Amino acid sequence: MTTQPLKREHTTLAPAGSQSSTVAQWLRRTLARPTGRFIAQIAIIGIFLAFWELGSGPILPRVWVSTPSAIFARIVFWIKDGSLWVHLAATVTAAASGYIIGSMGGIATGLLLGLSPRLERISGPFVIALYSLPKVALAPFFVIFLGIGVESKIALVAVTVYFLLLYNTLDGLHDLERGWADAYRIMGANKPEIVRNVLLPGIMPWIFSGLRIAVRYAFTAAVLGELIAGNEGIGFLIESSAGNFNSSGIFAGVFILVICSVTATQLITRTEKAVLHWRN
Amino acid sequence: MSSALITLDNIAKSFWRDDRAITALSPVSLSIQREEFVALVGPSGCGKSTILNMVAGLLQPTDGRLLYEGKVVGDLNRRVGYMTQKDTLLPWRTVTDNIGSPLELACHKTPKAEREERIRQMIELVGLKGFEKHYPGELSGGMRRRVALARMLIYDPETLLMDEPFGALDAQLKLVMHDEIQRIVGLGRKTVLFVTHDLGEAIALADRVVVFSSRPGRIKAVRAVDLPRPRDVFRIRFTPRFTELHEELWDELKDEVRKGTDA
Repeated sequence: MTTQPLKREHTTLAPAGSQSSTVAQWLRRTLARPTGRFIAQIAIIGIFLAFWELGSGPILPRVWVSTPSAIFARIVFWIKDGSLWVHLAATVTAAASGYIIGSMGGIATGLLLGLSPRLERISGPFVIALYSLPKVALAPFFVIFLGIGVESKIALVAVTVYFLLLYNTLDGLHDLERGWADAYRIMGANKPEIVRNVLLPGIMPWIFSGLRIAVRYAFTAAVLGELIAGNEGIGFLIESSAGNFNSSGIFAGVFILVICSVTATQLITRTEKAVLHWRN
Repeated sequence: MSSALITLDNIAKSFWRDDRAITALSPVSLSIQREEFVALVGPSGCGKSTILNMVAGLLQPTDGRLLYEGKVVGDLNRRVGYMTQKDTLLPWRTVTDNIGSPLELACHKTPKAEREERIRQMIELVGLKGFEKHYPGELSGGMRRRVALARMLIYDPETLLMDEPFGALDAQLKLVMHDEIQRIVGLGRKTVLFVTHDLGEAIALADRVVVFSSRPGRIKAVRAVDLPRPRDVFRIRFTPRFTELHEELWDELKDEVRKGTDA
């Protein structure tokens, strides 16, 4: 009599199943909390770095993959001899100036074309052709035209960002809810009033999404310019490290670029959230 | 006839799609008197909204003439307020700013103090007190409709065009809005063109109900609603006269609705 309920209990407890489910439950609950998530992320990075540190040599040649400690030492070295700031300043200057020039120009052109359909129809094929062109292909042209200094990098960044913002602005003007402008027209608004009250604020989401994407492209273009020709910048650091088979230097440069790009993107995202607060 | 505020003189409208002309509206004639409330009823796609768009001047008739106060509506008609079926509130502006937006325009320019006072009155009128600083995205469908209504009324247009303004609302809220509309229209002595596919709504509110046939739209019947005003929109449905009118008009409408769904 007593064995039967015991047996049943045994079967319901099921081998290992319940135990693993409590672990899974605990994990799910922990990961649902922000602090839990943060700890998990740190753990992932820690495990990854440990594998890299210990695996470099025994598994993969150290010459190729370096080690996290060597990369860290390389960054510290660049900070100490002051070269990091010089090169960082060069890259950030090129990326930021090109970004500002390119996005302002792109938004302005986008508005011009979007607000005058005739102009847009005429220029349409040219804009598409230039947009489809891989801008990197222009880098050599900028070098012979503007030299190997910061100017050629600014130009490359500006051209890249310009078309991104041009297209996003145009898309915004095309896809904007037509009813908004019609409602204003019926109320008696003239064209400048519609532009100021409806179109400009209305396309802000498109402009910000363009600005966000453009950050990444700006850094890519700046570094590409430096890789192709130049004597300063993070791209130059990477290139010259590669020339010396110094993989620590390459990874250190890449790491610094990631930091820059993430910081700048965060900055834009924060601004976007503040300006478009009505969306939250 | 010459005293009519709005005259549709044999107007027709067709659209081009894939090199094929689609007739949305066959020649239609109708005149609307000043301070008259006319409801247009019919199956979807019968051209009711097209008529409103033409009265507003957003569309031009393919054929015929549309007169407003005896003049052809060639361009935008600035004498009308238009509450479209679609929500056209600006999502980045608060309730207060959306309602006040017409008064910021050069043609309705109003001093700041007066503007604020009128916004306050409008918010009270449509019962949105306490929601002044909310954005449209934070409001329910019914509240957004009220904001749209207040935005249309604030600059006091003489004619109101309403395209299924309460189509998305639940039955109870609809009645509350009917009550408000009736009060506001009565107070402001407005002319109203009201598109709906809810026959009960049409009879409860309108002086005349115009029944349209399915596409291409034609006028099938015009019926004066002789229910006395002011009407109690909450109870009018239970009066014998309402039932009679409803049955009579439903007979006209039901075949069209069936045709409309077949198409």
